[in-house]
Amino acid sequence: MKKNSSLGRALKFIGRYKLLMAISAFFAIGIVALTLIVPILIGDSIDLIIGKDNVDIGKIVKLLITAGAVVLLTSVLQWLMSAINNKITYNVVRDMRNAAFQKLERVPISYIDTNAKGDIVSRIISDVDIFADGLLLGFTQLFTGVLTIIGTLVFMLIIDWKIALVVVILTPLSLFIAKFIGTRTHSMFAERQKTNGEATAHINESLSEQKVIIAFSHEDESQKKYDEINDRLKSSSLKAIFFSSLVNPTTRFVNNVVYAAVALAGAFTAVATAGAATPFTVGTLTCLLSYTNQYTKPFNEISGVLTEFQNALAAASRMFELIDKEPEIADSESALDIGEAKGEVTLSDVSFSYTKDKKLIEDLSLNVRDGQRIAIVGPTGCGKTTVINLLMRFYDVDKGSISVDGCDIRSMTRRSLRKNYGMVLQETWLSAGTVRENIAMGKPNATDEEIIAAAKASHAHGFIKRLKDGYDTVIGEGGGSLSLGQKQLICIARIMLSLPPMLILDEATSSIDTRTEIKIQEAFRTMMKGRTSFIVAHRLSTIKNADVILVMKDGKIIEQGNHSELLKRGGFYSELYNSQFAKI
Amino acid sequence: MKKLLKFIKGYKKESVLGPLFKLLEAALELIVPLVIAALIDKGIGSSDHGYIVRSCLILVALGAIGLAFSVTAQYFAAKASCGFSAAMRSSLFSHIGTLSYTELDTIGSSTLITRITADSNQVQTGINLTLRLLLRSPFVVFGAMIMAFTVDVQSAITFAVVIPVLSIVVFGIMLITMPLYKKVSRGVDSILSKTRENLDGARVIRAFCKEDEEISEFRERNDALTAMQKFVGKISSLMNPLTYIIINLAIIALIYSGAIRVELGELTQGEVVALYNYMSQILVELIKLANLIITITKSAAAANRISAVFETESSMKYGDEKFTGLKDGISFNDVSLCYKNAAETSLSDISFEAKRGETIGVIGGTGSGKTSLINLIPRFYDATKGEITVDGKPISSFDKESIRSRIGVVPQKAALFEGSIRENMLWGKADATDEEINRALAIAQADKVVMDKGGLDAHIEEGGRNLSGGQRQRLTIARALVRNPDILILDDSASALDYATDAALRSAIAESTKESLVFIVSQRASSVMHADKIIVLDDGKAIGIGTHGELLAACPLYKEIYDTQFGEVV
Repeated sequence: MKKNSSLGRALKFIGRYKLLMAISAFFAIGIVALTLIVPILIGDSIDLIIGKDNVDIGKIVKLLITAGAVVLLTSVLQWLMSAINNKITYNVVRDMRNAAFQKLERVPISYIDTNAKGDIVSRIISDVDIFADGLLLGFTQLFTGVLTIIGTLVFMLIIDWKIALVVVILTPLSLFIAKFIGTRTHSMFAERQKTNGEATAHINESLSEQKVIIAFSHEDESQKKYDEINDRLKSSSLKAIFFSSLVNPTTRFVNNVVYAAVALAGAFTAVATAGAATPFTVGTLTCLLSYTNQYTKPFNEISGVLTEFQNALAAASRMFELIDKEPEIADSESALDIGEAKGEVTLSDVSFSYTKDKKLIEDLSLNVRDGQRIAIVGPTGCGKTTVINLLMRFYDVDKGSISVDGCDIRSMTRRSLRKNYGMVLQETWLSAGTVRENIAMGKPNATDEEIIAAAKASHAHGFIKRLKDGYDTVIGEGGGSLSLGQKQLICIARIMLSLPPMLILDEATSSIDTRTEIKIQEAFRTMMKGRTSFIVAHRLSTIKNADVILVMKDGKIIEQGNHSELLKRGGFYSELYNSQFAKI
Repeated sequence: MKKLLKFIKGYKKESVLGPLFKLLEAALELIVPLVIAALIDKGIGSSDHGYIVRSCLILVALGAIGLAFSVTAQYFAAKASCGFSAAMRSSLFSHIGTLSYTELDTIGSSTLITRITADSNQVQTGINLTLRLLLRSPFVVFGAMIMAFTVDVQSAITFAVVIPVLSIVVFGIMLITMPLYKKVSRGVDSILSKTRENLDGARVIRAFCKEDEEISEFRERNDALTAMQKFVGKISSLMNPLTYIIINLAIIALIYSGAIRVELGELTQGEVVALYNYMSQILVELIKLANLIITITKSAAAANRISAVFETESSMKYGDEKFTGLKDGISFNDVSLCYKNAAETSLSDISFEAKRGETIGVIGGTGSGKTSLINLIPRFYDATKGEITVDGKPISSFDKESIRSRIGVVPQKAALFEGSIRENMLWGKADATDEEINRALAIAQADKVVMDKGGLDAHIEEGGRNLSGGQRQRLTIARALVRNPDILILDDSASALDYATDAALRSAIAESTKESLVFIVSQRASSVMHADKIIVLDDGKAIGIGTHGELLAACPLYKEIYDTQFGEVV
């Protein structure tokens, strides 16, 4: 996405707070003007302090009281402005995160499948923060900075245009120097970044597999490699840190030179105009010196703000990529609510692939009568979940159609389609909440009796009762302390409670202890009675008893039929089946 | 934290000279107002052009010397902090290498990674800033006050009042907001975990049509976070207006009292300006100091976390007897294992004998103790009760290197490392020839994988991510076979292979390891049923040891497992 357009999109989010922005800008102008008046008042007072018996205390007191009032007013405005800016910033951040999260719930599953989770999370969390820091805080800094520069310049020009000119000409020097050092150090930082990346990669790899390193006594080799990278990291860090830290002292030096130049010019003017009608006084000089300090400061800040701006825009465009993502094709106006389906599923000439260049399912046809069992078999990673993705309409077919009870699933609402399926996957997922809430997920108004009955039917009641707070035990995010088998039993109870007419079940391969596994199988069996079931099967008994077996390999369905038909065919399935019993 | 101090030892000179040069620079800054005062009183006062030019040249010279001092100080600070952190990281990395499985389990690898990357960087930044600023800022603040006293004692009293008041405001606001910012970051964590949860559970949430509820829950948390941020913002945005008022009121007071003193002839105009300038210097430095303290607090916390790792010592001690090869076998005598911090034992009273040339199958559900059992053999953990002997001698009497190098372990999680396939194979045996490697690859059914990837020099990416799960498993098996081990341990290491490859693998291994002792851990009855001895584990206990036939008859659990995998509908 173009940076400009992401700036435009960002402005739309900020636009909601137009009025606040205007007030904030107005305050900023007031603050800058007031801050500039204070040195004049102070300077005027100093001018009245000329020497022994030559001090106009009465006038000084008046000036100082005015100064005090101005200072108070400035502080109040400062506080109000930052309160307003905070409000704008945090509200914009909140709005953006809400928009991003809402989109996350609406994007096609393929977006979640194909993007790294850490990446999506960082778009919603850290990118929004970078944006807020860079653009919003940066903007206020830039705005007041520019105002201060302009204001100081105008005041200096009014007071003495020649000295003002000295300041205007010399100050950009510090900008040049900062830029000069910046471009020189850029490559050093890049080098350091690269070395740091190498070091992190090595650390990541070794420490996350430290046990393998121990098992193969590979500690010394790994250390040698690390030390080599670490040494390079040390020298590249030193260079980068040292050279970049030159910016501050050198700009400070330039500012000191400007300061000295103003003092010189001012002192000369003061001497020359002594006794004139409008003398250049010591007060004027102090005032100018204090302006010089104020004038140079924002310059140093602005160059920093500009880089942050770039980062902020980059972060914003990453975030808008998510916010602007096309949502799933909406259910059409005429989409049906099919209510409780009978459970007939027909796939006719279905073709599907995740990417255009890699064909997966082609011309798959399958007729499932209600109550039938379909076993999907094949080696791990062969794409069994693809079929589930299509049935649940997480993905749409490319060609052909899938219908339930004779009705194309694209002409019904997703909600009503998905309500008709009960899904228990191997990667169990529980939300943070109580056991009860998790079981009642599909039927929030279920009574306690119904919940307990469902838990009993799925053999989960026993272990739930033994938990610390029984059904009210809070399970942490992702299931926390429960074992995988227990989590799966809760997931089964969840389905058992609403018991939809069609089931998608994933048999466990490895993660569950034998006893629990037997319970799960019994629970599955209870559930499947009279229901159309699609089972990702690993157990021979399940496979043999299926009405139709879909044999998958490399993402494709290569064979279809029941156990004896497939054995007779002598294809991949029979090879799989026989290898189970092969003697070593 | 004391433990870390030794890493700065090589940089003593830098750590002293860095702050010293910073102080010199600060001292120069304190002279500037005096020069200006003299410029006003003497230069302008007596219209002395020469004096004015000299004063301004002094200002430039002070700036130039200050620049030189400051650059020197930055260099020493950068050198000391980079050197310190490099030495600390290297030592930390090597210390982690000495830890045993028990400590790794307790600390966790992601924590260790954070310690050696992010935390080390934080400490480095902290040291760099400390060397540069910790002395400088208080020096300027108090220096300004002392200079004010030398100018005029009575006026300087304003300084003595303002400095504590300013400090209270600056540090007070900092102290109040620090814990509040922690709350904010917990708020961020809560929306972060909600987001993660929704990514992990996207299918389930959609299957149950829970999208709208999730959105409103996210909004609730997000609103709470926003409210918290605004609250902290309100407090911390008091800092600027308050300090602005204090400093300017102090300046007003200073000028008022100065005016009276000048009227009395006890002070000059230039000196009033000097006092005014000193007052302006204080604020900037106090704010710098407050920020520095925040950084130092963070760095100290990071340093403490790193120290904790250094304080963790390996709990495993080794004997010094050289292991020259397995002659007889291994025996377990009433062995129990209870992991550190675990409430219950993971293995209880296991006894069996395993002879050279035998294949031992280990079967049982997850959590039944299979991996715990085989982890005792290469001494990844020590038994907490009972004894394991190798050729009749206690396993702990052997030297670490010599016994590990005779054992080939294929862990459950197939981990490979960035580098070529050959480099990965050499892990098994540092001086293995290509023939040895190819032989191991052939047994592991991995020769085709290597061919597909383009030979032994083909590159493997970090963690082996350019390989499929099955390819990784086969390569890790080959890696263990390269050393032609006396004891081979396969920990459920064929789970990603299809049945046909699995079978071919098992027969090739059986063929080539006739002389070795092989342990096969599996959940599949088909993988262990042909072993010489099968150990059936349930809840850490060996509830059956024997051959397939014996166990079918005598061990109900074994029969149950077998039936669920092979039987007709039960």
